[in-house]
Amino acid sequence: MLKYFLRRLVLTLPTFLALMFVTFMMIRLVPGDPIEARIGERGISPERLEQLRREMGLDQSVWKQFGDYVWNVLHGDLGTSLVSHEKVLTEFLTLFPATVELSLAAMLFAVILGIPAGVIAAVKRGSAFDHGVMGASVVGFSMPIFWWGLLLIMVVSVGLGLTPVSGRIDPIAYYFPSVTGFMLIDSLLSGQDGAFADALRHLILPTIVLGTVPLAVIARITRSSMLEVLSEDYVRTARAKGLSPFRVVGLHALRNAMIPVVTSIGLQVGTLLAGAVLTETIFSWPGVGKWLIESIGRRDYPALQGGIMLISSIVIVVNLVVDLLYGVINPRLRHGR
Amino acid sequence: MVDETSARVTNPQPAPPGALREFWDSFSENRGAVVGLFILLAIGLMAIFADFIAPYSPIEQYRGFTKLPPVWDARGNWDFILGTDALGRDMLSRLIHGARISLFIGIMVMAVSMVVGVVLGLVSAFAGDFVDSVIMRIMDLIMAIPSLVLAIVIVAVLGPSLTNTIVAVTVVYLPNYVRLVRGSAMTELGKDYVTAARVVGVGRLRLMFKTVLPNCMAPLLVQATLGVSNAILEAAGLGFLGLGAQPPLAEWGSMLADSREFILSDPWIVTLPGLAILITVVSINLLGDGLRDALDPPAQEGVRGMQDVK
Repeated sequence: MLKYFLRRLVLTLPTFLALMFVTFMMIRLVPGDPIEARIGERGISPERLEQLRREMGLDQSVWKQFGDYVWNVLHGDLGTSLVSHEKVLTEFLTLFPATVELSLAAMLFAVILGIPAGVIAAVKRGSAFDHGVMGASVVGFSMPIFWWGLLLIMVVSVGLGLTPVSGRIDPIAYYFPSVTGFMLIDSLLSGQDGAFADALRHLILPTIVLGTVPLAVIARITRSSMLEVLSEDYVRTARAKGLSPFRVVGLHALRNAMIPVVTSIGLQVGTLLAGAVLTETIFSWPGVGKWLIESIGRRDYPALQGGIMLISSIVIVVNLVVDLLYGVINPRLRHGR
Repeated sequence: MVDETSARVTNPQPAPPGALREFWDSFSENRGAVVGLFILLAIGLMAIFADFIAPYSPIEQYRGFTKLPPVWDARGNWDFILGTDALGRDMLSRLIHGARISLFIGIMVMAVSMVVGVVLGLVSAFAGDFVDSVIMRIMDLIMAIPSLVLAIVIVAVLGPSLTNTIVAVTVVYLPNYVRLVRGSAMTELGKDYVTAARVVGVGRLRLMFKTVLPNCMAPLLVQATLGVSNAILEAAGLGFLGLGAQPPLAEWGSMLADSREFILSDPWIVTLPGLAILITVVSINLLGDGLRDALDPPAQEGVRGMQDVK
């Protein structure tokens, strides 16, 4: 077991190093000189250019530059945004809670609806409910979520006037300092009447949009995994012993059926972060996804570089944790090797 | 997932049906898959013969008829069945030509990533150790970066265009193919027929491509089908963000992006391109599900991180 842990851990290191190399090279591959991008179109004297090159370390060899970059990254220095002149890490950390809040809400939405739907579809296999769930999951899985978001805004926000169109909270009605960065918690802490409800209403549509694909995937995997488990001998034994169907499904089958589901939930963190780019853009949600897209538009390459570095690191770490957890919950992997 | 096929096996038949016939029999049991296949065929024909079917040019602007609603609206006009967009271009013609672009992207991405994926996957499985580690670590890296973010970065470096969209999405989906081929090739390598072929002295290339590869085809085919639909979605996402095909090209994602501001006043301009994407992707996914059931490769969904662990 320990060997398995260590092996996974060691395998991650080259990936991290390669990630740093790619983000480092990226900024050198983009068309245009980084200094010219920074000084804009006015131009500067050759001496000043030389000085800037030296300051930014661009006169050093590429390998020395890469070494410095790795050193800086390991010390938490991801450079400074060209636009806001703030540290990239600081900027990322201010925006990240918004993305996490949205992703968590979306995952919660997907799990709460997806697992019961999958279980019921498996138990009532071939029923109208089963066909309904499978049909809906194909559609959900195929959904272009940017269009889904626009459609929901059109119907729910504009047509029915039920939810706000964009943002995390009504900035005119409510103002309070950000304590945790999570709007739901901050609005509660502020003690202002209706702030929490307003934050919640802002969260609903983005959650549905971001949660749609994970919901479809979770429902499908739960169903197929459940079907497999239900045909196993020990489930038949449990049934033969006269246990109530509820106990058989809920206790005996569900526990084993959950292994692939839990894995897929973990692996979807990457999907969520990617989907968040589109969802945040549609709903003007001030998270890291929207920030990345805007950084491209503003040619703010340090922000882009740092942002990709951080998001990818998070995905790597989460995938690692999922793999390790998989080892913990799957006894075959623990003992078998 | 497994049970439909078992019925086929137990059914005693005097003469064994041909492989294709047998495949069709089990494939056509899945009604959704057949429906998907026929819708897809229709969209494919539409894409191929777009120049003859589309009533107008997709980029011709009819300035007198901007933002005309479809015919079922009271203000509709039979000259423009699905209405016109903000620049007075015929929606129906743009949607038909958009099918061509989306399918082209999807098929190109699938073809390139399948060819590269098969080669890298087989090399990885056969070469072992060092080469294998290098290839797999690169694939890990690609998978660590969220797909759309990676595609966005590649497009940011290369510049937005149709070709670069294809390049970006290909890179993003490459690991799926490499891992799949490597995984199934590794399984096959341990089997007796491979050892037998080796003993007989079959050359390495022949062993890779003629002995082992055909036995990895079933899951690969399913992956390829789903790969087309993923690529179409991803490319449309890039188009929506303004990083895909550039105007005036009629690409469904960018058509959506162009019409975002008319979401309140003229909702059909927003609704139709998205519906086109959805219908196409759903029918490809239905087809993929049918293939999966009919070919019955081991379930692949959701456990992509697992094959590598030894």
